[in-house]
Parts: sequence; C-alpha cells; structure tokens
Amino acid sequence: MAKELPGYGTINVPKDREVPFGAVTPAPVCTQDLFQTSNWRMKRPVKEDEKCTRCLVCYMSCPDACWEYKEAEDEMYWIANFCKGCQICIQECPTGALTAAPELDFPDGVVRLEKPF
Amino acid sequence: MQAFDYKFQKFEPLKSFKKAPELEVYVPGHRTCAGCGPALNYRLVAKAAGKETIFIGPTGCMYVANSSYLCTPYACSWIHAQITNGGAVASGIEAAFKVLARKGKHTGAFPNVIVMAGDGGTVDIGLQAMSAMMYRNHKVLFLCYDNESYANTGIQTSPTTPYGAATTFTPPGKEIPEGKVLFPKDPPQLVIGGHPAVKYVATTTVAHPLDLMNKVRKALTYEGPTFLHMLAPCPKGWLFDEKLTREMARLAVETGMWSMYEWEDGVYKYTNVPKKYKPVSEYMKHQGRFAHLKPEHIAKMQAFIDERVKAVKERVAIPIPTPKQTA
Amino acid sequence: MAKEQMMTGCRAAAEGAKAAEVEVICSYPIRPYTAIMMELSKMVANGELNAEFVHGEGEHAQVSVVLGACASGARAFTGSSGVGVTYAMEVYSPMAGGRYPAQMSIADRTLDPPGDFGSEHTDAMSTRDQGWLLGWACSPQEVYDNTLIAYRVGEDHRVMLPQMVCQDGYFISHIPDKVTLGDQSQVKEFLPPYRPIGPLSTTHPVSHGPQIRPDQGAPMDAMRAQTFLAVPKVIEEATADFNRIFGRNYDPFVEQYKLEDAEIAFFIQGAHANTCRSSVDRLRSQGVKAGMARLRWVRPWPTHQLANALGHVKAVGVIETSTSYGGAMRGGNLIHELRASLYDLDERPLVTSFMGGLGGETIWPKDFDYMAKVLLQAVKEKKIRTYVQWLGM
Repeated sequence: MAKELPGYGTINVPKDREVPFGAVTPAPVCTQDLFQTSNWRMKRPVKEDEKCTRCLVCYMSCPDACWEYKEAEDEMYWIANFCKGCQICIQECPTGALTAAPELDFPDGVVRLEKPF
Repeated sequence: MQAFDYKFQKFEPLKSFKKAPELEVYVPGHRTCAGCGPALNYRLVAKAAGKETIFIGPTGCMYVANSSYLCTPYACSWIHAQITNGGAVASGIEAAFKVLARKGKHTGAFPNVIVMAGDGGTVDIGLQAMSAMMYRNHKVLFLCYDNESYANTGIQTSPTTPYGAATTFTPPGKEIPEGKVLFPKDPPQLVIGGHPAVKYVATTTVAHPLDLMNKVRKALTYEGPTFLHMLAPCPKGWLFDEKLTREMARLAVETGMWSMYEWEDGVYKYTNVPKKYKPVSEYMKHQGRFAHLKPEHIAKMQAFIDERVKAVKERVAIPIPTPKQTA
Repeated sequence: MAKEQMMTGCRAAAEGAKAAEVEVICSYPIRPYTAIMMELSKMVANGELNAEFVHGEGEHAQVSVVLGACASGARAFTGSSGVGVTYAMEVYSPMAGGRYPAQMSIADRTLDPPGDFGSEHTDAMSTRDQGWLLGWACSPQEVYDNTLIAYRVGEDHRVMLPQMVCQDGYFISHIPDKVTLGDQSQVKEFLPPYRPIGPLSTTHPVSHGPQIRPDQGAPMDAMRAQTFLAVPKVIEEATADFNRIFGRNYDPFVEQYKLEDAEIAFFIQGAHANTCRSSVDRLRSQGVKAGMARLRWVRPWPTHQLANALGHVKAVGVIETSTSYGGAMRGGNLIHELRASLYDLDERPLVTSFMGGLGGETIWPKDFDYMAKVLLQAVKEKKIRTYVQWLGM
C-alpha cells in the first residue's frame, strides 16, 4: 500500500455523559430518590388522628406508596417526598379522617421550593 | 422430558390489608400522572408477587412514564419489551431459567415471570405473542392493566376502548357523533376460548386491592400460563377527577361495565355481583370522554351491557364447567 | 480428531450450535433455514442437547425469545430466511442495543414478491445497520466454524453483540459437502461459557432498557460505535485461536485468492466464491492474471484489509448478490462500501459491479469469463463504462 490510510479515529464519551452498558441499571431500593414528585402537588392530605382507624385503605389506594403504617407505633405516616396530591386517599378514607389542605398553607410547602426535585 | 423440581414459589392468600407484604417492589418515584390507575395496579401486583420476580414491561404508559431517564421504580428485575412481544420475551426468560435450573446454573427459587402489558400490548399488537406464550405452556403470568386506550401516546383508541368514548383517534364530529363506534374486545374470553394450557384466568380492578393481590398470588401458584385482566382507570384519558380513580373502577363493577370473576379450569366464579345493576349513565356521567353522547348512544351502550350482564347472571346461577382438558 | 463427514450447511449450523451447547433455541419454519431447526429438534428430543426448544410463532417472536433468554444468562440460538429475516426487523436494534449476544443462523432467501425459494443476500444485508455482527460462509465447513467463531466474538466482554451467521440458501444450506466437526475438547478450549453482564436475576435485581433522555441517545450510540472499533481485534484473536485449535487457515476478514500479482479481481461473498475460485484458476491457465477477494464479515466492514488486499489490482468486479434499488451505483450495496474503502488510495483500482446470483440464479463459469472480459476491457480503456451490469441481461 502506497500511503497510510486514515483510521477510524477514537470515540471518547465524556465521563459525565456516559450511559450504562446496554442500558442496564441497578434496581432501586425502597424509593427511587432520583425522581421525587412532591412538587407536583397543590394540596396535601392532612390527617385527624382521632378519626383514623388504621384500616389501611389509604395505604392500599396510593399509586405512589405515600402512606406507611408503622406497626410498633400503630400509626400512619404520610411520605411527603413522593405524594403527587391526587387525593385518592382523601376520597377513599371511610372515616373522613383525611382532608385536603393547600400547600401554600405550609411553611415547607413544596410550591415554595426554589428548585424542582 | 424428565420431571425436574424447578423450585416454583408458593403463595398463601392474604386475609387482610395488614397481612399484605410490607415490602414495596414498585417503589415511589416515577413519572406516572397523579391518580394513575395503572401505577396503583402495578404497585399492588408487585407487592403481592414479591421481590423474586422478573417483570416484562412492553412499551406503554408503564414503560414510558415509569422508567424515565434511566431510573426505574422496579425494585425487582425488570426488562423492557417492545409493545409487540411481551409474551415472547417472557417465554425466552422462562425457558432460560428452566434450562439454567436443570444445568445447575440457577439454584434459587424460580422467578415469578410476569408480563405487565397494557391493553394494546395484550389484545392488539401484542396478541400474537401473548397467545403463543399461553399455547406453549410457559409458566408466565400475563397481566393486562386495562386503561382502555393507548394512553401514553396521547389517548388513542384501542380494542378495549368502550363504545362512545372520545379519543384522539375517535373524535366525535358531525358525521360520527358518538366518537368510537365499535364495541370492545373481551380479553379474558379471548384467552379462555382458545388456550388449553391456561388453567386460571381472572378479572379484577384497582378498587379491590385484596382481591387483586390474591388473584395475582393464586395465578402465580400455577405451573403454567395464567392471565389477569385488571381495570385501571386513567384520569387523563377518561377525563375524570384524579381522586376518583378507585371510584370509577367501583362504579364500573356496579353498573356492569366490568365484571369480577375467576375462571379456574373451566369453572366460573363471580364476585361483587350487584343485586341490582346501576344504569351505565351513572358510570359515564363522571367521564369527559362520554360527555358528547346523546341519549340514544347511552341507550345503545346500556343494551350492550344488558346483554353482557345476562351472560353473567346465567354463569352465576349455574357454573358451567367446560370439558376437562388433558395435559 | 473427528473424521470428515458429508453434510449440508443446515446440518453444519445445527452441529455448531450443538457444539456450543446452546441453551434456548427458538424455531419457526421457513425455507431453507428450517432444516437447521429440524436437526436441532432431533438433538433435543434424543437428549443429545440439554436445551429448551421453543416453537416461536414467527420470526419476530424468535428474536424476542432469544432476547429474553440471553438477558437471563442463557446461550441462545435462532435463525431464519428471506421475509422471515425482515419480519423480525423491530427486534434487531433492541437486541444489539441491549448487548444480548445471541446468534441467528441465516440461510439466505429472496424476499417477496412473489415467493421465491432461491438464495439472495438482500434479506440479511438489509439488517446491516442494526448493530449486529454479520458475515457469510461459503461452505458447510465454514458454517460450522463461523457458528463457533461468532459466539466467541459476540460473547466477548469487549463486544457483547448479537451475530448473524449467514450461508446461501440451497447452494450451502442444502448441498452436502465435506465437514470435519471439532471434538468437545477443542470446542471447550476455544469457546468459554457465556458470561452475561448484569443478567435478569432474583438476587441482584436490575432494570434492562429504561428510557433515556434525548441527550443520552448520542453517548449511547457512540458507545456502540466504540464497541465496533474494538471488534476487529477480537475477530482476529478468535480466528487465530480457531485456526490453531482446529487446524484451519482462515483470514479473519477477507479470503485472498491469488491476489498477489492479480491485475483483475472479483470481490464476492458467500457460496458463489467456490465457482469464482475455480474460474480464477481457469482464467489464469488462459494467461489472465485474475484473483478473488471474498468477504467474511460485512459488519464490521474490513476497510483497511480490503484496501490492502485490492489496492494494487487494476480493476475489481464486485459480484452483488443483493439489491439496493436506487442506490448510488444502482446495483447492490457492496460496491458502495468497497469504493469508499479504496477512495483514499493514491492509485485506486477501477471498480464496477455485476448483479448476479439474484433470486437463486447460479453464477456460471461463463459468467466469470464474461466479467473478466469486462474488467480487462476496463483496464485497457482505463475506465469503466457503467457502474453496474446485470449478468445475462
């Protein structure tokens, strides 16, 4: 061959733009923290403790697993980071223990966040 | 082929909400709409099945909205399939684990192989792959979360979209006032009608979480293919207030738009059969997709449902065993 | 050492798969590749091969089934022909992008319409941009060998890509020829077990194939392109190991037959290379300095190897056994890529092409004589008259 032919060059994907090999990622544990959805909501459920019977209907109704029952304390906990404010739990609560309250009413209301997520 | 113990998992029925497994396998942190029926559906299915599960997710809302930007909410193994081939990819996975178990390369419990397909991935473009998987007797649970449309692409009509629904492919207009003019396919009957390997088919809704979870667990105890058809209302697609997701599913059962049953090796068992069905208008009035309908259209829908309910009543009165299939 | 046997290309592919101890096989009947699956189903039924034999409901399902199997950590095998190959088109890209190194054994067949059983490479050639490794054999022996070489290359962790091992329908798939099968110790030395990367698992849960943002698409593509830069070295290593262990003499990319002093050369892939080789001999006996370059891998395309092998030749005739209607040269695809490979040489050969072996037609020795005449004329006139000619038309 008379002369050197061009090569294929090299491809250097910048470290910060690398994607996982074959688009295989490890599965999340407990929650997908990369995707918090709290700033979607305009209202949040507020619970009246006396009315709550721990029937777990809210827990079984939430698409985003935002109600948690702690057996040791016999108490229901709302998970603020992921609640999208759909209010299914409020609609379904058989004792009327849940009401919807505007996010603006809360000093930590997500509408006050400067940064989404 | 010689008998081999594949270590299939066993599941007991859940007696109450408190007995449901605490572990979330479909974890929070996903981009599904607020009040998403299919997301609630997925969560309950995953909870019932547990972590030793492999989900096959054909393209649809539960792929696109869940697995965005390389982060997914599936705490068990999950693989994307094309909308066309959920049943086929599941077949390959099941076959692989069988041969790997026989060769001693996979030693643990046999994974629950579950296809979580939308209505399009089940009875439209995915029908061939699902039917073939069932015919071939793979130990796969095929689940259809039915939101009655191609929702992820912007609410286009699918074969399970009800008559009279407005979708972006069936807009009501002067010439076609009712929007969708066709009546929907019946997925569980399609499965029951032609798949001798299938011994368990059931229907349920997101408004019946304990029933749903128990049907998943029962289906998973079968050593062959099983099918669940689950109504998963879609607030954006059906145009109702997002807090009414469960209420819509409940009303569907109360009006006869949906019936809850199990079919086990030829025998039907219906549950939640109303003593008196509410008129379908009670269901339709909450949903914007039916807002354009005239009384004659609603009457047409009522007549269709009346026919369907008649079949339910016959089956409730006498269980109809179909001839036993030999394996 | 196993002794020589007579067998067809289909049987050779099945023997290759058996030697590789494939674990999940997915079949669907279509002529002519079907016989591969007929052979494998017998092996499974007789207990010679511990595999799951899945009866796919179509080629789309076949590729989908092996995708699922490969993702779960099993060595998977499937195959097809003609419109079957194109029916599965949707799944090729997910298969390559997901880095699932299953193998598809293709016995080429003409695409419809109307139905034509004959061999033509357009079926598998039309998948060449889907990210698979793609190559042609020219004898049942090479089919067996390529089956093993392709698994070794595809499953290498520097590669992890699916492979299409192609043979011409009927000419190779159905005409018995001498084949020497390897013994198990040779196969074991050559082909390590499949080691999946991040397979579906109950103990180490993973997500396969979540959506990406548009700005993640380019790096995804770039990483796949990067892999293709690494493939040639892996092919060279695997071919060298194969030659050593099995006592063969393959060039990794291009079979070079009497090219050293050739003035004119045929550039070809697949079965018709056999007629081509004997035609080269005959032409040489008549005083024509002819030679042949036979392509073994279309993907990755051996750019520099071809420039090296053909750069000194005065005129090259590309024998196209596939179509690219409306393409730059209005013939097949090989000429585009060959001309691009030679473009940067200071002195380039003249390159023209001949459409032959389409629809299952035989390319006869007299056709090679004719092509040689055209090439010699081009050498004399220092130009080609047309980019393409249809043999016999």
